Amino acid sequence: METILSIEGVSKSYKKIKALKNLSLTIPKGSVFGILGPNGSGKTTMMSIVLDILKADTGEYSWFGLPNSHEERKRIGALLETPNFYHYLSAVDNLKVTQAISGRGDNAAIDEVLEIVKLSERKNSKFSAYSLGMKQRLAIGAALMGNPEVLLLDEPTNGLDPVGIAEIRELIKSLAQKGITIIIASHLLDEVEKICTHVAILKKGTLLTSGPVDEVLSNEDIVEVAAANMEQLKKCIANMGGFTSIKEENDRIQIHYPIGRSNLEMINSHCFNNGITLQLLLSKKKSLESKFFELTND
Amino acid sequence: MKNLINIEWLKIKKYPAFWGMLIIVMLTYPGINSMVYYGYMEVISGKDMVNQVAKMVLGNPFAFPETWHSVAYLSSFFVLLPAILVIMLVTNEYNYRTHRQNIIDGWSRTQFINSKLVDVSIISCIVTLVYIVVAIGFGIYADSISWGRWAEQLEYIPLFFLQTFAQLSIAFILGYLVKKAFIALGIFLFYYVILENIAVGLLKWKKIPIDRFLPIRMSNNLIVKPALQRTFGAAAKADYELQLSLVPQQVLLTIAFTAIIWMICYRVNNKRDIV
Repeated sequence: METILSIEGVSKSYKKIKALKNLSLTIPKGSVFGILGPNGSGKTTMMSIVLDILKADTGEYSWFGLPNSHEERKRIGALLETPNFYHYLSAVDNLKVTQAISGRGDNAAIDEVLEIVKLSERKNSKFSAYSLGMKQRLAIGAALMGNPEVLLLDEPTNGLDPVGIAEIRELIKSLAQKGITIIIASHLLDEVEKICTHVAILKKGTLLTSGPVDEVLSNEDIVEVAAANMEQLKKCIANMGGFTSIKEENDRIQIHYPIGRSNLEMINSHCFNNGITLQLLLSKKKSLESKFFELTND
Repeated sequence: MKNLINIEWLKIKKYPAFWGMLIIVMLTYPGINSMVYYGYMEVISGKDMVNQVAKMVLGNPFAFPETWHSVAYLSSFFVLLPAILVIMLVTNEYNYRTHRQNIIDGWSRTQFINSKLVDVSIISCIVTLVYIVVAIGFGIYADSISWGRWAEQLEYIPLFFLQTFAQLSIAFILGYLVKKAFIALGIFLFYYVILENIAVGLLKWKKIPIDRFLPIRMSNNLIVKPALQRTFGAAAKADYELQLSLVPQQVLLTIAFTAIIWMICYRVNNKRDIV
């Protein structure tokens, strides 16, 4: 698959603190890529580096497989940490500045994004008069303007009410369907689980894991089995029923169940009764949360 | 470049402090010049012998072409007003964190400093424009006969611009490096009003002739104090002539010093983390 962003061995220190340690990551085109991690895990540092706000101590990154240049950033709509706008300018004037710098969109695009983020009625109010949620929505609007190829959103639902959060979630889903690559940093597991196709988990500046969501974080029960004769085992398991899917992986078979529905005893006796002795019988009950805690706890 | 000017003008034209500064400048420039002008009128309108002598030796400093020089000299004391605005414009970017957003949105780091260079240029141009209008106004008002000589001494326009630009650049680098408006402004004020004047006084007292190399003094000397007392003694006259002859040197010094200021800004901005 085509790569949108690749990061190679990036490290960054702030005085004594090592914020990122030799981080490498590739983000495929068209994915909704969630970057998870507890507070202070390096999510924002990573995003700041690929936006040239911070300079990495070592390592490289590349957008669209091209050499680094500010021209590439114009193809990225980004919201980093906080909504950053001129307090004395209205929403429309602020977006005009964004537009003039990024070269994305026109006057019609400004109205369009203000409509999407539901700020049309207040479009001529000064930014300083906005509530926290409205500021956040304006920042999302600015990132969306002129259909960038990539959206980079750092905690996009900060300060939004539950309805606002749901709206943003739907918005992200619909943008993903249009083929826009979306990179989201968040510590809200639920949010990531609902919209992301891929995920990476960071802790204290180290990448713990990354890959497609259903591989990394699973909300199902997973049972792994293996036997000397894998072909026979596969047939036997297929006859068993009660599962949602079977995946073959290297030297073992993964049986996926709806959450809470796996029964190791039953599997074991079923196999034994069919003349198969299991070499491996392992329960992998992983919810997103437990996976996250498992990975991020010491 | 045109794009940069458009963006900066969008930021500036809706900034209330900009219009505040402009109004105050438009009041102070004519104000300070009027005070001196009417002071002068009072002196020469007296019937005494002294008054008549004063009239003869002083000439009319507000008639063309002297108005270019006099108004430039008197107005240049008020560079503090646009300096406040320049400091606000750069520290605002830090307050609003738009210095990051501009980069995120697609400016290169160099373009960010370019945009600030545009800010300082725009403000210097506007202030110079106010100066030109005031100088012309006084020229016509003070002596309607001499206005045919308006085209003489026009060099004071670029000199005034250069002085303003140079001193606003000092204000800019303070705001840019210190990041906090009030601290930057405090340092600028303290240096401009007190510290350098003490240094100048000290150097003169010790008879070390290097005061013209001090940052503010360097560009202040572009516009020599008008020779209101030019024939009041040979020493004063000699000094005036000396100062005038040094102006080309001061121009070069000021340009070099200002270029260094901006080079530092570019260098720092290209290397540092934008936090």
